[in-house]
Amino acid sequence: MMQTSKPLVGNSFKLGYRFQRYWDTSMAIAFFSAEVGAGLFLVSFFLDYVPGMIVGLLIAGTLKPYFHLAHMGVPQKSWRAILRPDRSWISRGALAVALMIGCGVVYLLERTYGVGSAVGLGPAVMTAVGYGAVIGALVVVFYQGLAMAHSESFTLWANPLVPLSSGCYAFTAGSLLALVIGAQSISAEHLGMLRGFSVILLLIDVCVIAGILVLARNKSPGGAFSVSLLLNGEYASLFRYVVIFLGLLVPLVLLLVSQHFVAVLFAALSMLSGFFCYRVLIFKAAVFEPITHDLAGSIGLPRTS
Amino acid sequence: MARMGMVFDLKACIGCNACVVACKQENSVPDGVFFTRTLSYEYGEYPGVKRVYIPTICNQCEDAPCEKVCPSGATYTRADGIVMVDRDKCIGCSSCAVACPYDMRTMLDPSVLEKGLFGTGELTPFEQHGYGRYTAGTAVKCDFCSQRVDAGLRPACVETCPTNARIFGDLDDANSAPSVLIRKRNGRQPLPEKGTKPKVYYVD
Repeated sequence: MMQTSKPLVGNSFKLGYRFQRYWDTSMAIAFFSAEVGAGLFLVSFFLDYVPGMIVGLLIAGTLKPYFHLAHMGVPQKSWRAILRPDRSWISRGALAVALMIGCGVVYLLERTYGVGSAVGLGPAVMTAVGYGAVIGALVVVFYQGLAMAHSESFTLWANPLVPLSSGCYAFTAGSLLALVIGAQSISAEHLGMLRGFSVILLLIDVCVIAGILVLARNKSPGGAFSVSLLLNGEYASLFRYVVIFLGLLVPLVLLLVSQHFVAVLFAALSMLSGFFCYRVLIFKAAVFEPITHDLAGSIGLPRTS
Repeated sequence: MARMGMVFDLKACIGCNACVVACKQENSVPDGVFFTRTLSYEYGEYPGVKRVYIPTICNQCEDAPCEKVCPSGATYTRADGIVMVDRDKCIGCSSCAVACPYDMRTMLDPSVLEKGLFGTGELTPFEQHGYGRYTAGTAVKCDFCSQRVDAGLRPACVETCPTNARIFGDLDDANSAPSVLIRKRNGRQPLPEKGTKPKVYYVD
């Protein structure tokens, strides 16, 4: 039986797939900046590289809140977002951002100006503050993916690999940015380690993205529809050439063939371009399933797949 | 306590959209926002093409994903099972809108309330009266016309349906009209695989 209605129906009075239209580019920028900033902070913390930590906190502490507030319908009440950490990943994430920024700033003030010692806080306390920032940053790199995976609305998101992709991309961006920022100040041994770490992470990113697509395609018709949008449909060019080629393969090749600063710089820029494009496209390609997958058979309709 | 629910009779629905208009009128629903829709679906080949109508509404889920993800506690479930949004607590983060598998929530664009139906910035007396119940930027949805339910009335869409395609009542009462219909005609919930336990059923 041929189906004559179009499968993608926008916001109309037709039955079919509907685009996710609530989380837009400003949310994509907020997610992207939180993951890049927290990733850079974590990588820099473990290398004990203070400028990297400062840049990471600046990225996560300014762009993320700004674009989140820009997205919110009632920004003056945004403080209420922390009220339900028992059930909402948005609440947990907001608290984690506050923990990362608060503890991170105190820790960096101690590291640069010795503020902790000046006010009588011992080294043990300041170490604990530093690890508080690390715990906050670890939650920040994963919680946005967890918030997406927690939603059953979109098969593309409701996937255990989505939070993993958030973490992997965050650490990839963090290590590549640390390579660029610390090219002149991080030791050669650490630079070599970071380069190897970045290559491994880029390979993991490729596997995770492939895994997300395979799981989504096999889980439901809506998931398969989202995957077709990314691979063959409206977003295929951006996904193939920017997310996969520019964002993952180009930096991988550049890091493998050259250790020159310019190559590393291009690798970082192309990876960040691909990562941002991935953040935008995973929002855009998510679709609401038609409500009648199950009802279709009972009322004599063909399935809307 | 009652557990209010609704049944849609797909054989009875003729797609007249009187329910949509009644909802708009009762709740002063702003331009471009719909708490209920009657979706159409066409299939088959000429000359045997057919069109069917499928009413949709907030399913007032028992395990409501919109309530679980709400970071501010604005979304809550009343004792009678109706899922509500407290506009004073809503921060407009839209996490509920992306959590609802049925796409039954809308984020209220501030410009909609400011421009009015005719887009001139001048609100009609109807809009001036009705828009007071909305706050720009917050999430809005169907609440089974809770103000009417509290007064012992049926939701406006049910009251106005000329073919009785919408049947409203207490699902905990085995003798209520929706319970009988669900039992006799094998009522089905939309997207049951999402695990939300909707209190809206379809019969054919």
